[in-house]
Amino acid sequence: MLPELGNFAIILALFFAIVQIAGPFVRVSGLQYTAVFSQFFFLAFAMLCLIFCFINNDVTVLFVRDHSHELLPLIYRIGASWGGHEGSLLLWCLILSGWTAFFLIFSLMKKNIPNELLTKIIMVLGYVSTGFILFLFSTSNPFKRDFPTEPISGNDLTPILQDPGLIFHPPMLYLGYVGFAIAFAFAVAVLLEGRLEKNWAHACRPWVIMPWSFLSCGIVLGSWWAYRELGWGGWWFWDPVENASLLPWLAATGLLHSLIVCEKREAFKGWTLMLAIITFALCFLGTFLVRSGVIVSVHAFANDPDRGVYLLGFMAIVIGSALVCYLLRIKHFYQPPKFQLFSRETFLLLNSVVLISAVATIVIGTLYPIVLEALNLEKISVGEPYFNTVFVPIMLPALFFMGLAPHVSWGQQTVITLWKKMRWTLFFSLLITALFPIVTGFEFHVLTSLGIFLGIWIIFATLQLFFQMKNKSILPVSAMMIAHIGIAILVLGMTLNKSYSVERQVKMLPGESVNLAGYQFTLNNIHEMNGPNYQSIAALFNVQNNRGKEFSVTSEQRIYLSHNQAMSKAGILVNMWRDLYLALGTSFSDGAWSVRIYYKPFVRWIWCGGFMLLLGGFLSLITFLQKKGERHEAI
Amino acid sequence: MRIILFLFTMVFFLSCYAAEDIYHFSSTEDQTRFAMLTSELRCLVCQNQNIAESNAPLAGDLRQQIFQQIQTGHSNQEIVDFLVDRYGNFILYRPPFNAGTIGLWFLPFILLFSGISYLVYYIRKKR
Amino acid sequence: MRLFKLIRVGLPMMIFLGVMLLLWRGLTLHPAQIPSPLINKPAPQYRLPNLLNKKMMTERDLIGHVTLLNVWASWCEACAEEQSTLVAISQNKNFQIIGLDYKDNLADAKKWLQQYGNPYEVIAVDQTGNSAIDWGVYGTPETFVIDKKGIIRYKYIGPISMEVWEDTLRPVIEKLS
Repeated sequence: MLPELGNFAIILALFFAIVQIAGPFVRVSGLQYTAVFSQFFFLAFAMLCLIFCFINNDVTVLFVRDHSHELLPLIYRIGASWGGHEGSLLLWCLILSGWTAFFLIFSLMKKNIPNELLTKIIMVLGYVSTGFILFLFSTSNPFKRDFPTEPISGNDLTPILQDPGLIFHPPMLYLGYVGFAIAFAFAVAVLLEGRLEKNWAHACRPWVIMPWSFLSCGIVLGSWWAYRELGWGGWWFWDPVENASLLPWLAATGLLHSLIVCEKREAFKGWTLMLAIITFALCFLGTFLVRSGVIVSVHAFANDPDRGVYLLGFMAIVIGSALVCYLLRIKHFYQPPKFQLFSRETFLLLNSVVLISAVATIVIGTLYPIVLEALNLEKISVGEPYFNTVFVPIMLPALFFMGLAPHVSWGQQTVITLWKKMRWTLFFSLLITALFPIVTGFEFHVLTSLGIFLGIWIIFATLQLFFQMKNKSILPVSAMMIAHIGIAILVLGMTLNKSYSVERQVKMLPGESVNLAGYQFTLNNIHEMNGPNYQSIAALFNVQNNRGKEFSVTSEQRIYLSHNQAMSKAGILVNMWRDLYLALGTSFSDGAWSVRIYYKPFVRWIWCGGFMLLLGGFLSLITFLQKKGERHEAI
Repeated sequence: MRIILFLFTMVFFLSCYAAEDIYHFSSTEDQTRFAMLTSELRCLVCQNQNIAESNAPLAGDLRQQIFQQIQTGHSNQEIVDFLVDRYGNFILYRPPFNAGTIGLWFLPFILLFSGISYLVYYIRKKR
Repeated sequence: MRLFKLIRVGLPMMIFLGVMLLLWRGLTLHPAQIPSPLINKPAPQYRLPNLLNKKMMTERDLIGHVTLLNVWASWCEACAEEQSTLVAISQNKNFQIIGLDYKDNLADAKKWLQQYGNPYEVIAVDQTGNSAIDWGVYGTPETFVIDKKGIIRYKYIGPISMEVWEDTLRPVIEKLS
């Protein structure tokens, strides 16, 4: 019963999505708005149906059969409803309609978008939504049923997904990913109108900032999940699917900054519109890469070629038509620049250029193997060493400018005044960078020092901004400051972690110990444990630091009953300065176990920086909500 | 100040209870080479992990192979060539620089450079 | 000037179309299959015992026959899948089928052969997996076609079905013999 209801709800949602498109053509008042809310309601209903199918473990539903099992704990059953292609696509559609509904309520309440434009935005969102719901319904229906003749049990959720990360990461990531549809619809609607309302950028900004915050948080959550789950303490692998989430983030960061200039200085209009289109196109590209099977990835969904063809065709229509609009209408938005070469505008534009180059680098790195294969040349792999050599150098100047740009005035600036303003900050950043290896005893590397310098420079320069504010209200810039410091902390965490992590792979018998980075790790005992749907071999370790303080930590090797595949569950000791990460490997015939022990300094800073981005995003939203009439003063 | 002096002051106590390293190298230089080589090679079984991290049996065999070759004094280039001869360039996470990969290595920088040049041109032309 | 404007406005569209075309092409490729660099090279040297009589075998045994070298193991599920096809095609005397038993327990391997059939002329045992590395093996089953001079001409990755045999392997072998 439930699956049929869910299926029916999807059909109704599809119907309302089509009505949503018809909005501007059919002059029935409120019809379009009703369609938006009904669509959201029915998709939410369908999602609930799916979740209940999982809770009941209804194996007649194919999607449930493939991703659930009677022993699977309840919380993972709920998570499993988006743990595969079909369910996560339903979540995609639900979140898209959720954003649309939220956007509509928000705009109707604030009345900051003219009705004509609002109708067009909702229409564009309707197109996107229709395409995705149709995709969901025709090629990836999560409610497809099959009645087995004899009782069977489900295939269970892949062990690697059975982690709290599954509950938070995909919804958070999609809240970001999908949310950029609104900025995209905004841009297309504006292009269709052919003229720019003066407060366009202002009205659009929260719809970039909110998804951007969620995406930042989603990416960091994903990284945290991989760190804990994949068993070797890495936090970023340059896997194509990870790249797929980083791409829209980079483009959206450019968009965010470009919108500020658009709002404050009425410049870069065309470029901003382009960035909005690029950002969503990259979301689309990511969705395609993950779901079509053109690339090999640990995270990719099982795929079938029909889905790839559909998604590609749909992407061609949506993004292609947006680009055609852009081609035809862009001349109406062109404005000659009204600023000097050395000005904040230039720096913000430079920021876009660097970020788009970074995007291009990742796209090239991800797609290049396909290019070579398509040309029947050799088959290559592009991985971390490539991105470290190409992507990182491109981003470094952007980080330097990140500290500098907020101090540069709008319009024009002389180098001398800027130098006078910043020289002490620069000096102290350099000084601390130089002192760092001496004081902490860490080994000196040029590249590490560069990373440390950039992190400290951003923090100092941002704090300088705070102290020079004097009597102005702090709130409007606090969001920017927190986000920038968040990036600085992220950079410091990544640099220090990459440079100073150490590890040992040892063969250990119970009672033996190993020293690493000033800690002594002793394997106390090996015992068996039983989980709800797995059995595990657990190793209890005692860890002693060089002042005699003791901790204990358990590292497991789990065998999930339904999969019969061993999975390592690392034991991690956490504090602000370092993680100690112990992963149990395989056993030897003499009763010894191979153990990997990692000392990972500053890894918490990475997650910390990521959450500061989320915080910054929310602060910015609060500012936006507070400012009602003040906006014109700001300009 | 807590983190001071933890690192690189690693003293390996040689008590009778000390566990042994699985890949024991006589010099830290060889150890770094091993870490570098295994992390830059792609595991062919679970194709999105490197050889250092993969739990696949083949990755274990290749780690052992690389370990032995380092022990017997092979250079990094020799080890990489050995693997490329058998598995092709696919095994390298750092793609080789050749006619086919020129675009891969240079395009990003060309794009950045032309982007910045265009930016400067755009701002200066209508002053 | 004109050109610049054209580039500025048209570039995004061009890039977009290029990427679309590429992805379209990408849908028909097989990203997980890795071509072997050993094609058209002499078979690697090996010295491995025969599973059944412990006699040493080397790559020189390949010379003079067209050979289908099949890498398998008793723990490999996909290998059991292709065994019936191999048994069927072993009736064909234009070529010899040599097995390479990869990292296996010998007792299990013998039991497995009794269960699924033995299409092999001889079976070389590689218990360490070192010889398999020389062959560039990364997953069982893998099948090499080697010509009379001992040069590797073709590699097929994955289980051989009757279709695979008829459509891909058979034409290759017929051309060689």
